[in-house]
Amino acid sequence: MITTEKLNSYIEKVPPAPQALRDTLHLLNLGDLTKAAKVAAGDLALSSYLKTLMNKSIYGFRNEVSDISQIFGILGVSGSQQAVYNYMISLLSPTKWSLFKLNATAFHNLQAELSVNWKKILTHLAINDKDIESAVTLLPASIIISEALFSEKIEDVKLLRSASAIDLNTVLKRLCGMDLFDICEKISQKWEMQESIAKIIQASSGIKPQEDKQIDTLGKWMHLLLFYTLSQPSFVEAGLNDFIDFQVENVMDIYDDFSSVIGVS
Amino acid sequence: MRAMVKDGMGIFSPQGFLDGNNGNFFLSIEDIDATTKLKVDMVLVSLKKVVFFNRNGLDAFVKMLLKVRAANHATVGFCDFDHKKFEAISKFYTNDLNFSLFKTQEIASLFAASFKNQNKNVLLYSEDKSQRAAMAIELHDNGHNPIVAQSEAEYLEKSKATSAYDIMIDNTYLGMMGQKVATRVTGNAIIYTVSSFLDAEIGNTFNISYHNNSLNVGFRLFIFDAYKVVSMNVHALNFFSKLASSGAEYNATICFVGLTFEKTPIAFKETLEDAGIMFFDHMDDILKNKELLEELGASSAAAVKNKRAINKAIVTELPNFIDATVATIEMMTNATANKETAKVSTIEIVEKEDKIASSIGFYGDIDGMVVLVFPLAIAKKACALLIGEETDDKELVLDTLAELVNIVGGKIKTLLADVKISVNITLPRTYTEVDALLEVVNDKKGVQLDLKFDDDKFLFFLTR
Repeated sequence: MITTEKLNSYIEKVPPAPQALRDTLHLLNLGDLTKAAKVAAGDLALSSYLKTLMNKSIYGFRNEVSDISQIFGILGVSGSQQAVYNYMISLLSPTKWSLFKLNATAFHNLQAELSVNWKKILTHLAINDKDIESAVTLLPASIIISEALFSEKIEDVKLLRSASAIDLNTVLKRLCGMDLFDICEKISQKWEMQESIAKIIQASSGIKPQEDKQIDTLGKWMHLLLFYTLSQPSFVEAGLNDFIDFQVENVMDIYDDFSSVIGVS
Repeated sequence: MRAMVKDGMGIFSPQGFLDGNNGNFFLSIEDIDATTKLKVDMVLVSLKKVVFFNRNGLDAFVKMLLKVRAANHATVGFCDFDHKKFEAISKFYTNDLNFSLFKTQEIASLFAASFKNQNKNVLLYSEDKSQRAAMAIELHDNGHNPIVAQSEAEYLEKSKATSAYDIMIDNTYLGMMGQKVATRVTGNAIIYTVSSFLDAEIGNTFNISYHNNSLNVGFRLFIFDAYKVVSMNVHALNFFSKLASSGAEYNATICFVGLTFEKTPIAFKETLEDAGIMFFDHMDDILKNKELLEELGASSAAAVKNKRAINKAIVTELPNFIDATVATIEMMTNATANKETAKVSTIEIVEKEDKIASSIGFYGDIDGMVVLVFPLAIAKKACALLIGEETDDKELVLDTLAELVNIVGGKIKTLLADVKISVNITLPRTYTEVDALLEVVNDKKGVQLDLKFDDDKFLFFLTR
C-alpha cells in the first residue's frame, strides 16, 4: 500500500524553507519585529496568508488588520514565529484534497483553532517559550502527510478499515517502520525548527512517552487539544476524526483542567 | 463514518467529544443507509475513545441505531464504557432506554449470534432483578452458562475467583433485543432459537444468507430450538417447507425440538414431515445420541451427496477472484504477489502439517467459495499489517486471517460490481487444520492456483 521507498521519496520532496521565511524567522529570533515584518511583507504569499489568518473570527479583531508590522506587533515575537511556521506547513498542503474533505480555508481554520487554544493552554500552564508555542504548528502536518500518502489508496484504506480497527498512523508504522509523527520530525529537521518542537510533536502522538516530564505533559495537552479540535463538526465531516488513534487513558489526568481552560460544556 | 464489521457485529468508533454540535456530522445519510443494509446481528457504538459526551451528542447515534433496528431487526446499543459513563447514559435515557448497553465488546459478543464465544461461564450482576433474569435467559439461549449474583456484595465476592469465570458482566443493560433468530453452533450442528408466534416475519428475522453459507461450508444438521414457540401460521409453515426443500440439495436435515401442537394445527406437522423435517421432544434426544447424530449428518461436515460443480460463470470471472486475492496480499505486505501453476481439480494440499486455512462464500448473480491455505508462518507474514507485533497465538493469527479473507471478499465484491455482477459475501470461516477444510471441500472440483509473495507460497482454491 505504502512502501518505504514512497515514504522516503515524499520526505525528500519536502522543499527547504524559502529564504524569505528563514530570514523572517532569524530576525524574529533576534527579537527584531520591525525588520522581520519588512522581510515578511516582501513575500507576497506569506503576507497574504498572515492577513487572512489574523482576520479569522477566532482571533476576534473588530477591525481588519492588514499591515504586517501591525500583525507582528499584535502577535509578539512568539506569536509571529508561530504564524510563520503555520504558513510553512500550509505550503505542504495539496491544492486538491481527496482523502479528507478539506480545502485551504478549512485547513487554515484548523491551524488557527489549534494555535489560539494552544496559547490558552500555555498561559494556563504558565509557559512562556516561543518554541513551545510554535510546536503546535507542526501538528497539522500529520494530516497533510496522511493525505499525500494515502489519497491514491482511498478504496484500499476503506476496505482495510471496514475489516479491522486500524488507524492510518498504525498502517504506516507497520508497513514502513515510520509513523506520521516521525515524518513530522523529519520535516522539522529539514526546516531547522527547534529540537523541542519535534519532541513535543512525538509526545502528542499519545503513544510515545517522553523522558522529559514537561515535554511529556505538553504532549498530552496537545493530544487532547487535537481531538477536541477534530471533534468540531467541520473536521468530523472532513473525515479527520479517526485518522489517528485517540489515546483516552493517556489524557484522563489532565481532562478536567483541559475542560476548564478550553471551556468544554 | 462507517462501521467496522467483525463476527456479525458492526461497530462505530467515534473519538474525542460528542455533543449536540457535532453528533449529526459523524453519520451521513449514506452512512446510515449503508448500516441498515449490513448483514449483522448487532450494531453498536463504542464509547471507548470518547472522552466527553452529552445527551444531544448521543442522540444522533441513537436515532441511527433505532432506524437500523427497525430496518433489519439487529440488536443495537452502546459499548465500551466505564461505570460513570454507564450511569450517565442510564440517566439521560431514564424513560426511553430502548437500546442495549454492553460494558465491553466482548460482553456484547456473548449476546450476539456468532460462531464464536460458545459455552462461556459467565458471572453476571445487575441492580435490576428483571435485567438479571433477562440476561441469564439470553445467555442460556446463546449456549452459555450464566451464574447470577443476586446482590452487589455477592457479585464482588464471587468475582474474586477470577479463574472460575470466563467473563464477568456488570454495567450492562439489555434493551429491546434484536428479533433475529439466535444462532449457535454445537459440534457440526447449528441450532437456531425461535420463540413466541412464528409468522411471515420469520422471513425477515431468519438470516438466510448465514444459513446458506453454513450449507456451503459443510454443515448438514440444523436444529430449531422451539421450546418457547406458542404457535405457527401458514406463512411460517411455507417458510420452513421451502427451507427444507432447499436444504435437500445438500442432504441437510432440519429438526424441530420442543415444538408443541396445542395451538398449531397438527396438520402442519404432517406437512413439515412430508418436507423432510423431523421432530423431537428434547434437545438431548439428538445431541446425546451419537448414532442419531451420525445418521442426521452431524458427525461429519462432509456428508454431501449432491456436489455442486464449478461452472462457466465462475470460471469466466476467475481473473477477478485472483486479482482480488493478489491485490489484497500486495496491499497487506507491500510484496509483489505472483501466480504460479493453475489447474482445475479437487483441492490438492501436499503437506498438511502446520497449515491453516480460511474460506469466504459469495452469493448473488453467481455463487461459490474462495479458500486460502497458508503455512502458519506465512499466514503470520501475510497478516503482519493487521497483527502488528510478533505472535505465536494461533487463535489470533486465525482471527486475523479471517479479516484478511474478509478484505479479499470485499475486493471481489468491488471487482465483480465493476463488471455488473452483484454478489454479497458471507462471514469468513477459518480452519485450524487442513483436515477440517478437506471435510468441506475434499470432493469439490474447483480451480486451484499456487500463489506466492516474496518466496512464500500459499494456495488459492475457488469452488462452489
